[in-house]
Amino acid sequence: MNQIIETILGFLKSPLNALDESLSQSLPDQSYAALAAFAFYCLVVLAGGLTAVLSRNLVRAMMGLILTFLGVAGFYLLLACPFLAFMQLLIYVGAVCVLVFFAVMLTKNSAVGQEQNLPSLSHIILGFLAGLAPLAILTPMIIKHAPNYQITPEPTKTSLLGRGLLSSDVVPFELISIILLVAMAGAVFLVWRKKPDKKPN
Amino acid sequence: MDLSIVSFVQIIVSVLLVIALMVANAVVMVYIERKMAGFIQRRPGPYEVGPYGTIQAVCDSMKLLAKQVFVPGNVDWLLYFLAPVTAFLPVLLLYLPIPFGPYLTAMNVDDGILLILAFAGLGVVSNLLAGWASNNKYGVLGAARAVSQSVAYEIPMIMALLSVVFLTGSLNLTEIVDSQGSWPWQWNIFAQPFAFFIYLVSLIGETNRAPFDLPEAESELTAGFHTEYSGMGFALFFLSEYANMLLVSFVCATFFLGGWKGPFLDGFWWTFIKAYAIMVFMVWIRWTFPRVRFDQLLNINWKWLLPLSILNLWLTAAILKILSKIY
Repeated sequence: MNQIIETILGFLKSPLNALDESLSQSLPDQSYAALAAFAFYCLVVLAGGLTAVLSRNLVRAMMGLILTFLGVAGFYLLLACPFLAFMQLLIYVGAVCVLVFFAVMLTKNSAVGQEQNLPSLSHIILGFLAGLAPLAILTPMIIKHAPNYQITPEPTKTSLLGRGLLSSDVVPFELISIILLVAMAGAVFLVWRKKPDKKPN
Repeated sequence: MDLSIVSFVQIIVSVLLVIALMVANAVVMVYIERKMAGFIQRRPGPYEVGPYGTIQAVCDSMKLLAKQVFVPGNVDWLLYFLAPVTAFLPVLLLYLPIPFGPYLTAMNVDDGILLILAFAGLGVVSNLLAGWASNNKYGVLGAARAVSQSVAYEIPMIMALLSVVFLTGSLNLTEIVDSQGSWPWQWNIFAQPFAFFIYLVSLIGETNRAPFDLPEAESELTAGFHTEYSGMGFALFFLSEYANMLLVSFVCATFFLGGWKGPFLDGFWWTFIKAYAIMVFMVWIRWTFPRVRFDQLLNINWKWLLPLSILNLWLTAAILKILSKIY
């Protein structure tokens, strides 16, 4: 039974495999495809970021942010770490964006809110400088420590990642967990309101 | 993953097949749902068009295709049209890692269940966008409910799936099926009955089905987040809702019921039989239980399902640790 299916599948795939071989001979390597994908994700991230910054509507800005997160997830996929890419989507799109969205929705729903007005010129310049600050820190590092050849990334198995997090890197992992726990407890404490005593009807 | 013409063609063919499956599933499920609703409420259901009313669903979808796309005034048109698209597109990706049969896996992804959970998050975004963009109070209320519900029910669902992942030691859906046997007592449902129960409850909450269909409760919110959508916009929401139902059923079959393995003869038919059994179960639940109140809905989740799932996960880890020390 299984052998029959395998022969049929092999027969179906044989012309495609032949095409694949002839194409791989004519093309030098896969780096062009990777480069094209990198350019595409760059465009996605830039377009998303510009939408997030320039749009006058908070919800549209939110959509730009989601687009940026999708593009960054694409970068992670190109770096052969699908685990990080899926976690990026799961946490940033599925949780962070949705919660921010929720906050926008629960607060003032007005078309002429504060975000409709352009900030003053000094604010724009200060914001621009603040945005450049991480670039000023990161650019010298990248230029100084850039690898002089392209490495094809090797995917790491998720089980290996987990083993590393719980053996050699267990202290930072647990510290981050404690920070998150403290943040959560703090958030609950901030919104905690003692219930007023119920009067019997 | 290597980039080759074979894998490329495989992905395109499987996405086309998934679209066909989504449409066929919606048509068949509408018929099954209406017939079962009729049976449960002691009335015939659709019976006029075709033998036993079988062509009714086809006629309904034709009507939906021909309907005028009506855009209400003062909507944010970009977001209004983006919302059905963001509901529909991620669903195509969600079916890729599912092993339908021993040879029927579109993409053997190493972190398959993470891919499904990650892109399923976009569904919530689409509900929010639809409710927000349609400039309607019912829409905003429905979207707010949809979000608090899906964010809440996602947690016990992930916990239940995680306990199976603990057992198998893999996030790959193909490996999870491989770790189970052909006979029912070799399936994960016997090792993880509580996880199965938690997953079953939270999948109804996650897909916004009655008795947990608060985001579109018609008696109080007209139609919730898709009140202002008609024609193809509504059709896309409708398709993706049924596709999401089918997806959680497939994931349930893969994780708890042995996937394509079954008694006597393994094959893709077992996946479909199991998934559709869960679909019919969801329809049955929908037409026999009254809708819960919203605070009840959230209390079931935060006060019962979440502690239970954490306890189950902790017990699984502890028992696995003890067993690994003994053997």
